[in-house]
Amino acid sequence: MCGIMGYFRKRAGNDERLGATMLSMLEALGRRGPDSAGVALIGPSHRAGYIVRVQAGDQLAMNNQAIQVNQEAIKLFAEALAGASDISTSGVYVRFLLAGEADLPELIKAIEGLGEGIEVLSIGHAMEISKEVGTPHLLESQHHISAFAGTHGIGHTRLCTESIVDLSHSQPFWGRGAADVAIVHNGHITNYHQLRRRYEQRGVEFVTENDSEVLAVYLAEALNRGATLRQGLDGVLRDMDGAFCCLAVTATEMGLVKDPYAFKPLVVAETADFVAVATEEIAIRSAVPGNYKVSEAQVEEVQVWSR
Amino acid sequence: MNDPSSRPLLQTSGTYTAEVMQGIHTKAETGIYEIRGYGTLRQRRWATFDDLTFLPCGLTRIPLEGYREKCSTRTVLGGRFAKRPLELEIPIMITGMSWGALSYNAKAALAKAAAKVGTSNTTGDGGLSPAEREFAKDYVYEVLPSRYGIDVHDLRGASAIELTIGQGAKPGTGGLLLGSKISETIARQRDLPVGVDQRSPARHPDMLGPDDMVIKIEELREATDGQVPIFVKLGASRTFDDVKLAAKAGADVVVVDGMEGGTGASPAILQEHTGIPTLAAVCEARAALEDCGLYGEVQLIIAGGIRDGVDAAKAMALGADAVYIGTAALISLNCNKPLYLEDYRALGTEPYHCHHCHTGRCPVGITTQDPELMKRLDIEQGAERALNLLRAMTLEIQMLARACGKSDVHHLEPEDMAALTMEASVICGVPLAGTRKVFGR
Amino acid sequence: MVEIAAMAIDAATLSTREINTLIRARLKSGPAEISVENPNARHNLAVALLQPGRVRFAGSVGYYCGGLIDGAEIYVEGSAGWGLAESMNHGHVVVQGGAGNGAAAAIRGGTVVIHGDAAARLGVSMKGGLVLVGGDCGYMAGFMGQKGTLIVCGNTGHAFADSMYATTCYVGGNIGGLGTDAVVEPLSAEEAEMLDRLLAEHLPPALRAQKPPGRDFTKVVAGRKLWNFDKHNWKTWQDAL
Repeated sequence: MCGIMGYFRKRAGNDERLGATMLSMLEALGRRGPDSAGVALIGPSHRAGYIVRVQAGDQLAMNNQAIQVNQEAIKLFAEALAGASDISTSGVYVRFLLAGEADLPELIKAIEGLGEGIEVLSIGHAMEISKEVGTPHLLESQHHISAFAGTHGIGHTRLCTESIVDLSHSQPFWGRGAADVAIVHNGHITNYHQLRRRYEQRGVEFVTENDSEVLAVYLAEALNRGATLRQGLDGVLRDMDGAFCCLAVTATEMGLVKDPYAFKPLVVAETADFVAVATEEIAIRSAVPGNYKVSEAQVEEVQVWSR
Repeated sequence: MNDPSSRPLLQTSGTYTAEVMQGIHTKAETGIYEIRGYGTLRQRRWATFDDLTFLPCGLTRIPLEGYREKCSTRTVLGGRFAKRPLELEIPIMITGMSWGALSYNAKAALAKAAAKVGTSNTTGDGGLSPAEREFAKDYVYEVLPSRYGIDVHDLRGASAIELTIGQGAKPGTGGLLLGSKISETIARQRDLPVGVDQRSPARHPDMLGPDDMVIKIEELREATDGQVPIFVKLGASRTFDDVKLAAKAGADVVVVDGMEGGTGASPAILQEHTGIPTLAAVCEARAALEDCGLYGEVQLIIAGGIRDGVDAAKAMALGADAVYIGTAALISLNCNKPLYLEDYRALGTEPYHCHHCHTGRCPVGITTQDPELMKRLDIEQGAERALNLLRAMTLEIQMLARACGKSDVHHLEPEDMAALTMEASVICGVPLAGTRKVFGR
Repeated sequence: MVEIAAMAIDAATLSTREINTLIRARLKSGPAEISVENPNARHNLAVALLQPGRVRFAGSVGYYCGGLIDGAEIYVEGSAGWGLAESMNHGHVVVQGGAGNGAAAAIRGGTVVIHGDAAARLGVSMKGGLVLVGGDCGYMAGFMGQKGTLIVCGNTGHAFADSMYATTCYVGGNIGGLGTDAVVEPLSAEEAEMLDRLLAEHLPPALRAQKPPGRDFTKVVAGRKLWNFDKHNWKTWQDAL
């Protein structure tokens, strides 16, 4: 159970304050979920290549030395990788750019094979995922997200229910294997285990025991098949059971889907300039000035905004 | 003909027992599932408090003298956030049972007994009854999904608020009161048409999920100026997760009601096949509080088939700060007593076997709204009997505590017990008697 | 003419507890007009106000605004979150914007007026009082409604008036779908007049003018098939239990 939010700039060009706005929204939501916080931000597109973000290890599960060893291994790997550049580290993360095409599942395998506890958090032409255990202010101190300029993004603060508090169980979840797709989810998918077993039979690997992950897997598969985000979200409504408010991003779109029971709150504010979505109105009011109306999303609602 | 050796040997199926066959015959007639009162009737094949035994002092520890050396029973609940924690003389409280399920006389007797001994009474699925209004000293005010009878003034007069998510007999579902008990007075209290088969909702109308509950708990604090403790009551299901969430969401006290808990009326299959046993629940609950570092800060009340001071003492040794009694309190009021035998038979049952609370024809006037039947429960006599039970149970707890060398019943610990079965050892983390080993951990 | 004292509170610098304490203290010394600036969609504002008086929020409120009140009047210029006026005994709550899930949940009496749209489960478990929505309402409005009156001037979502006891509902627009045991009954002339009177009394004239006349409203009540267990109503019960 948690707080989710999304912000989408409608006008052309970048929003210099995207990261700052999202940070404010998350901080207002932080009371709902003190266990972890994360964002998936869409910035200027590296159309000719990818942004790769890797987590070298989980500080709650490994000692710092082991994480550093991993981090070194990842850096060396990137340095040796043809087309890789702009390699940087921050906290337990490594980030680098990769020019040209890449087989994402192969790349994930190669990086995660470098050491125990390594996890690729996101790969995208424009999307970057950052997450931390603890309150949203850590996203600023570790990743300086207030400096991020971009077009749209989603975020999440977590109060963990049935799975454990650790970094990989936090959100957003990347649709691993598909570039530029991520989700955040508030609620509980009650047919998660059944769905997971079906995907695993087809060879899909899940990273966590968190039911939200199945939404990311589902959308990644839909988009890889050629479905649009809207079609993917319509599918979520059809195939998932339980409570869910889910926000999803691709490189050019942000979408929302709400379950048939309205078990979880989700409010939407839309003007000619922006769309802001959040679990509570207070998150939008705290971060976005202006005289706009906010309304609750309806049951079974699917909405997609495109740039 | 009458020679026993010539009669055929009857072979009864272990799968299709007489009870099962009768159940199917009944469904074939009515087209609906069985509804009855009382709680699970199954023979206890799962680990219960009976699978534990106390280890009184021998040479390694020194016992306290009974009757002479002090063994404190004072119990304080809700110090985490409340300005006025609930202070009780004994660690046994009366659980929520609705006026509606129970008669006015029954509620009055329990309220008087609780007030006299220095403990609390709890309202139930119907709001504050006139009996409690008049006779209760400390009442715990239940806020259930139905919100029947909820009144802000009664809420503010409470010594504690209990936000009920579920109940041990039937977790995940709402309450039930059949038409024969929705009398004029009950209908008025609950804002319902007279004679309906009332079904309560399973979900709260204004909160769904622990994140909403954080805000709801704050609302209840706002409504009571932060004075009184807020309890969160859970039917024991995914107890480890639920207790952690309730504690993290800001509850002062968490109440866990196990599978053996009672009910006035509910589908039988829910009573038999939902929820986990009270022994398992108290162990999960304590582990949950320890896991989030709140054991000791958030108190734990355990309920669900607490029959005597022994069950209470074992629950407390395993981590409870107090216990709720429900069914035991009603039995003290003459439930299942061999009186008015023809009336038991008219219900198709006998004393010691009756679980027909749902009919509203309780032969001893406890779970009825019929004024003639209710007269059979004299309030003063009932109050005295309930008071006697509470006192006797307290003496039992004290006796066990003293034997274990404790001057305060709250000093009982898991290490004061041994398990009599492997399962109890695994579940409770207590050594199996004869082995000095804890199994399964 | 009694002087009603005015008071202004800036919520921006105060905690929720401080705001509510100020409001209650002020109302204790007599009826007052209290305005609260910058409520910023905070939760639990104006909870359990037990004295008469008027509180106006210049902005949006969060969850449970006006919850557990008995006698106060509350005006919200923005929108409201979940559980607006939940369990109110008596009082008058008006929201100019929209309201989230469970608006007027379990109210015992009083009035809740929403000029905009209401989300899911409007008036759930209501035990009396009047709920009036100028706009549309969402899924399962009136669910398990026990008493009182629920009026929606616009359209409703699915499962309207599901599993009700004795609440009476009136809809000015389209009904998205009737809930279990919800039936349409003919509207009497007296009821049409009552609707016109209530709409004139509670909605601003410009808003009222956009809504149908009382006689065009549809009346929905419980069919009573769920009031008592009966195996012949199996189809109905299958959806309800």
